[in-house]
Amino acid sequence: MTAAAPEPKANMGQPVPRYDAHSKVTGRATYASDMPLANPAYAFLVTSAIAKGRVDGFDLAEARAVRGVIDIVTHENAPKLKESKLFSNGGYAGTTIQPLKSPDIAHDGQIIAVVIAESYEAAREAANRVKVNYTVAAPSATFDSPGTTTAAAKGQNSQFKEDPKVGDFAKAFAAAEIQLTAAYDTPTQHHNPMELFTTSCAWIGDDLVIYEPSQYVHGLKNGVAEQLGIDADKVRVVNPYVGGGFGSRGSMTPRTAIIAGIARRLNRPIKLVATRDQGFTITTYRAETRHEIKLGASRDGKLVALRHEGAEVSSRPDAYCVGGTKTTTRLYACPNVDSLVSIVRADRNTPGFMRSPPEVPYLFALESAMDELAVKLDMDPVELRRINDTTNEPIGGKPYTSRSLMACFDEAAKAFGWSQRSSQPKSMAEGDWLIGYGCAATCYPTQMGPAAARVRLQRDGRTRVEIAGHEIGTGAYTVIAQTAAERLGVPLEKVAVFIGDSDLPPAPVAGGSNSTASTCSAVMMVCDQIRQRLFKAVMPDSLTDKAKETVGISQAPTTQAAKSNRPLDIEKAFDALGVSVVEEYGEWKPEGAPLDSFKAMHSGHVRLVGGHQMQDKIAYAFGAEFVEVRVNRFTHEIRCPRLVGAFAAGRIMNPRTARSQLMGGLIWGMSSALLEATEIDERNARYVNDNLADYLVPVNADVPGVEVILLSEQDDHINPAGAKGLGELANVGTNAAICNALYHATGQRIRKLPVRLENIEV
Amino acid sequence: MPDNSSSRPSGFDRRAFMAGAAGSALVPMTARAAAQDPRAPAAQDPSAPVDVTLHVNGKDRRLRIDARTTVLDALREHMGLTGSKKGCDHGQCGACTVLIGDRRVVSCLTLALAAEGQEITTIEGLATDDRLHPMQQAFVDNDAFQCGYCTPGQIMSAIACVKEGHAGSEADIREYMSGNICRCAAYPNIVAAVKQAAPEILKG
Repeated sequence: MTAAAPEPKANMGQPVPRYDAHSKVTGRATYASDMPLANPAYAFLVTSAIAKGRVDGFDLAEARAVRGVIDIVTHENAPKLKESKLFSNGGYAGTTIQPLKSPDIAHDGQIIAVVIAESYEAAREAANRVKVNYTVAAPSATFDSPGTTTAAAKGQNSQFKEDPKVGDFAKAFAAAEIQLTAAYDTPTQHHNPMELFTTSCAWIGDDLVIYEPSQYVHGLKNGVAEQLGIDADKVRVVNPYVGGGFGSRGSMTPRTAIIAGIARRLNRPIKLVATRDQGFTITTYRAETRHEIKLGASRDGKLVALRHEGAEVSSRPDAYCVGGTKTTTRLYACPNVDSLVSIVRADRNTPGFMRSPPEVPYLFALESAMDELAVKLDMDPVELRRINDTTNEPIGGKPYTSRSLMACFDEAAKAFGWSQRSSQPKSMAEGDWLIGYGCAATCYPTQMGPAAARVRLQRDGRTRVEIAGHEIGTGAYTVIAQTAAERLGVPLEKVAVFIGDSDLPPAPVAGGSNSTASTCSAVMMVCDQIRQRLFKAVMPDSLTDKAKETVGISQAPTTQAAKSNRPLDIEKAFDALGVSVVEEYGEWKPEGAPLDSFKAMHSGHVRLVGGHQMQDKIAYAFGAEFVEVRVNRFTHEIRCPRLVGAFAAGRIMNPRTARSQLMGGLIWGMSSALLEATEIDERNARYVNDNLADYLVPVNADVPGVEVILLSEQDDHINPAGAKGLGELANVGTNAAICNALYHATGQRIRKLPVRLENIEV
Repeated sequence: MPDNSSSRPSGFDRRAFMAGAAGSALVPMTARAAAQDPRAPAAQDPSAPVDVTLHVNGKDRRLRIDARTTVLDALREHMGLTGSKKGCDHGQCGACTVLIGDRRVVSCLTLALAAEGQEITTIEGLATDDRLHPMQQAFVDNDAFQCGYCTPGQIMSAIACVKEGHAGSEADIREYMSGNICRCAAYPNIVAAVKQAAPEILKG
């Protein structure tokens, strides 16, 4: 076993190599913009140079004169599209700002024209020659900018239903022996997946094929159909591989229907490869947030009062928010809790999900505050978590289905060498480097959504699994193949998996870390349907009594046998059936799913359940993260030589892919704490560092040592697969862990991310 | 962040670039030079397509393309070789890395005309029949990718990194592989893969 393929512990699958590994190392994996198109025309976007105002007119003479230009589309001649509602209001879109509908400009970088040409080079040149006359209005950029409006999230965002509270916070806080009040800030961040935001559209008669990196092919298909005013069955979205998602491709952006509309008008396939900088404004991002945390505790460390107030930036028309108080108010035992989330509207593009949307900013605040409280109490921060650990969340009193938080802390502390830490800040050093150790809890809600699958088994064991899941790097192909192989008892190499195509049975958005739990539960169910048919063939009714005996179960022997792990002689069953192929289709929905789940599934609407929204329980995955930071006492350079995380997430389907996701998550967390921020020119409400040289993401040299520990955990109360999502688990706690370690190294408490050398005042 | 390129001479130099470019009207030239060039008619109009022959993975490919076409777009849009990826088009991410001669080059910043006459190797040119190149196998073994989009560039870069003699230590590998961004952050696994493949590649 290499480090990449950890030995499976109890309730873990085999660390088999990725199903798609060969395709990915040979260049044969076809991402959306790799798809061959017959005689495509190339699109290049022109985006707004102002954040607020209107287009008074274009001078297109020079642009039109460029050799190879076919068409220039502006609001004056754009295809008419129907509006799409926000995904949270029953629509599909990540923004209701619809470019090319009018001359109005709602944010910087809004699409204002599309140039179509015979070549990419000609389209780009012509786009650069488009001259625009604007009427400019003064935009509001962010918090504290003149002209913003602020209001409570509750009441304006249909998905933010409550500001969780319990007991009497004010009274308890006032009476608390130890009080802490602290404010925290997190920055604007952009996902920057490696694959650009591309869209290729080809019409075949009245049918539209879209090649686009998407985390939700059924949502995109239905959304584009709605905007074009055509039957959804006429639209097919195909993307067998997605070059990273991180939330950026979960909801529909305006570009897709625009390109589809132009392709229809020109009767020609169109390929758009938006530039990296355009990706900052034509899709979503993680908005900047502000927090105030108040903690009241007794001298022995027990929390008696907790208040979390958060504020988030959104666009003028859309009340997007992440509202992470749903998690931070439920993480620790505390009888008196209060919270409030507000939305600040500015002249910006609408923000959206970015990896662990609520937990990253909100847990940064809470887990930093917990560390500050530990300092006030002169207590080991791990022990403070232990004292406030709980089996039931405090708001509704519901039990966690499983919670291995302290086991994670203990395992990670041991691996990290936490006992070597001297508790005083600035007490550890090596040469010019101040050394700090820090830790934090991490968690992420366990979510599931309705999913359908089709499975075909041939008598030679070859198996075909069809489900419109998404391979965004998570290992979807691999765990789906493993699930089918295990349930049907066929060799893994005989299983073929088809995902990333809206013509396949629908699966949920690849978001909220629900995919493995949802798709594998559906595939298990359909495999069991096949087993049932085969068992039925070898256990005809006349033999029921004998079958009962053999199977050892009194009722519905075929069903029981199908659901058990009883091996099946496939050849014998096929002989009895007299056919060569068995195919089953099935629709699975999680316990507690809303009544309209399957209908919504087919129309591309997300219905995730889980986390705190379950009937009589609450389901989260947990982890603990420990980091070492080094701060140069002269240059203030910050390095992060070690990241250690221990995680428990129910059944680990494949320790190899799980470890890789968690490892990537830890590095994401480090990046979020020390590198990433989209800088905003507040005068003009424009993003400044909109490229991969200026928007800092880690490179290999930034990442010396990462250790991932997978804990064995069994949870029978979540979903048939027994899996908790972990793709968004690891990058949550790291932000606070690093700031806590920086405090330990320097004695300076930094409450604003990212922390860079200019923020250190040793 | 170090540059992807090494300082080793490679035969891919400014002179070769100028020669290629002069023949294709990319830079101003004298009427006399134009008259002597068999492809001169193109020189009359800088936006007219030009003919170029690229030597990719051991085969010559004749193309008629816009003179501004990069090696990356020539591969992807004109030759059906989509293994090399576009992640930024600015030489910032490394996803488009190919080998020109022995040198790793960001193909998005290299004009196709400038690569004429050079040996270009892409990810599609590594495996022979069904046998993976040792670096490809090492990436599989060490799970050195997630979404896979940066992987072709990482692998091309990693092969050059080894041949340059920059895979002697983990620290060296990290430093000399830092021109290739992996947003999924498979970095520790990439280092393990390069370490695994290096001896076999150096053995030849």
